[in-house]
Amino acid sequence: MRMIWNEMKKILTWRMLTFLLLVNAVLYFLLISFDIEYFPNGRPALDGYRLGIEMIEEYGVQMDEEEMLDFRRQFESRKEEANEYLQAHPEFAEAGIDDYEELVTSVWDNEERQNLHSQIMHEQQIDLFWELQERSRLIDFHDTKEMIGFEPNTLQQTRFDELLNEGKYQAYPEVVIQNFKEFIVNVGITILFSVVLLISPFILKDRTRRLLDLQYTSKIGRSLYKTKLIAGILSAGLVITVLLAFYFSLYAQNGTSPYFGLGVNAFIANLTWYDPTFLQYIWLCILAIYVIGLIFTMLAMSVSSVVPNFVTLIGIQIPLIFVMLLMGFNILLSHIISVQSPQWLVPGLYGLLGIVSVGLLIYLMRRENFRDISE
Amino acid sequence: MLVVKEVSKQYGDFTALRDIQLEFETGLYGLLAPNGAGKTTLIKMLATLLYPTKGEVLYNGNNIIDMDSCYRELLGYLPQHFGYYKNYSPKQYLLYLSALKGISKKEALPKIIELLDKVALGDVMNKKMKKFSGGMVQRVGIAQALLNDPKILILDEPTAGLDPKERARFRNLLTDLARSRLVIVSTHIVSDIESIANEIIMIKNQQILYKDSVETICGTLDGAVFETSMEFEQLESFRQNYVLLSEKQEYGKMIVRFIHKETPLVDWLPVQPQLEDVFLYEYRDETNGTGQ
Repeated sequence: MRMIWNEMKKILTWRMLTFLLLVNAVLYFLLISFDIEYFPNGRPALDGYRLGIEMIEEYGVQMDEEEMLDFRRQFESRKEEANEYLQAHPEFAEAGIDDYEELVTSVWDNEERQNLHSQIMHEQQIDLFWELQERSRLIDFHDTKEMIGFEPNTLQQTRFDELLNEGKYQAYPEVVIQNFKEFIVNVGITILFSVVLLISPFILKDRTRRLLDLQYTSKIGRSLYKTKLIAGILSAGLVITVLLAFYFSLYAQNGTSPYFGLGVNAFIANLTWYDPTFLQYIWLCILAIYVIGLIFTMLAMSVSSVVPNFVTLIGIQIPLIFVMLLMGFNILLSHIISVQSPQWLVPGLYGLLGIVSVGLLIYLMRRENFRDISE
Repeated sequence: MLVVKEVSKQYGDFTALRDIQLEFETGLYGLLAPNGAGKTTLIKMLATLLYPTKGEVLYNGNNIIDMDSCYRELLGYLPQHFGYYKNYSPKQYLLYLSALKGISKKEALPKIIELLDKVALGDVMNKKMKKFSGGMVQRVGIAQALLNDPKILILDEPTAGLDPKERARFRNLLTDLARSRLVIVSTHIVSDIESIANEIIMIKNQQILYKDSVETICGTLDGAVFETSMEFEQLESFRQNYVLLSEKQEYGKMIVRFIHKETPLVDWLPVQPQLEDVFLYEYRDETNGTGQ
């Protein structure tokens, strides 16, 4: 333990931690802060968020047909309130708007009506009309619940039908899960940069500073390499944990806990191969971040074990990180159980990355035992 | 104690050492050869950093590679170039290395203080090493090699960066240490070991040239080392006919020390051969710049 801790102290130096703090501050303001500060992002996102909570409180985490009928009744009743509002304001009658239906259907071909609509929605921001718009959208979506928004293949269609047969159709506003997906990808990017920057120089430094001669002729010998790998993984795990704790404490401000019990398939436009709750999906994403972080930690240590200098160390890792940013995070994190990817793809990719990174380390550990330390 | 048994080391097509056969007992051995002769390769094989291409190194009859940590815990090693953490103090650095050597912190602390005092770094044991001179860093290196009270102490060019006073102190330290353990000092500086080594090992053409006492090795040039004086103008033709060991100017004349194995001239003064004479004679191609 003392040796692991000694190696960890070489990784988690004050200088490195300060550097990570700076990197995280920059990436937080560039990537993450928007999903925290602007949630829900304007309207109708705010109304979707509120309505979703109301629906969960009233109908629970799944809506059956009877509850959907009640939802429609409430829509009608709220429409009556809107009609009363419109009739109480003579300027609407003067413009030929007698009820809510007329407001939303005949507004676009008349400038006066457009101005009145804009006044209600954007200037006065009357909640009732925003809520009605969102309720209407959800009802429309429910009416077309047997249609998929994309051209499905057989497996996707089977999964869709399976959920439909179980009565698990998409009924709740998607604002919360969309926000979480954007948030978690940005957190993933920030954590990936943090661990790669933290771990990359670690093994190379000892090599280029000619420390191996003394380390490998001591009692512990070449098994110190294994100790270094363990220290690297533990340090990366520690940094990932601290960063996740920090970013999720910020995410807590978004107030999405009422949605935690909702199945992810209950959100609109979120068809998935499996049916965890939103909270379970969050845990799954956290686990995925640990796995991605540790895979890249192992890759960084492998590269650090063989390259001759820092320039090569960075040069080799740039394409890997670029591919991750370009598509890796979408597939491996935000769409981790989405039907948009074949069901085997995500576990297959995790398996492949895991085998490659662990395999490389095992190979390098064996190589370290038998190589000449001549540099 | 330590036996190098028919050891060869090759790097691809290049042979660094060929069929080396050596035996070491308690005492001080000086490994003397010019740079590039294979001293560091041999030292690194004794320290388990390099694996022999052929042959084996045995400690009390056991292969040192198979002995693994049991061998390394007997070993103290100072490499020719060694790394350190610039932001560590000598005390922190030695604590780090003592953990690698399997010495508990409680046991290591008094030992570290004692060793740093011994190498005259007691006053700066808590100062960061980034401010240290080359000589100070080298002394930290010497201290670390002694941390585990090794039975086998291997030092590769240990006096690099040390001033004459430090060298003298270091020689005394080595003499003390060699009373109860095997000490192998690799160097190309003859004066570092001439007066203290029990035996000198010289490597030439990838093989052992000599492994003997200073007296015996010097005896190989008995009656062949002379000094004479001449005018400066005669020096060039003299150089071409004899192997010159040294030249110096005195009272307007050139005094030269040289080797001649045939009948000497009358005015040549025979002198007692020194280890440096043997070194310069045996490695005359290398020292003349034709070798490395």
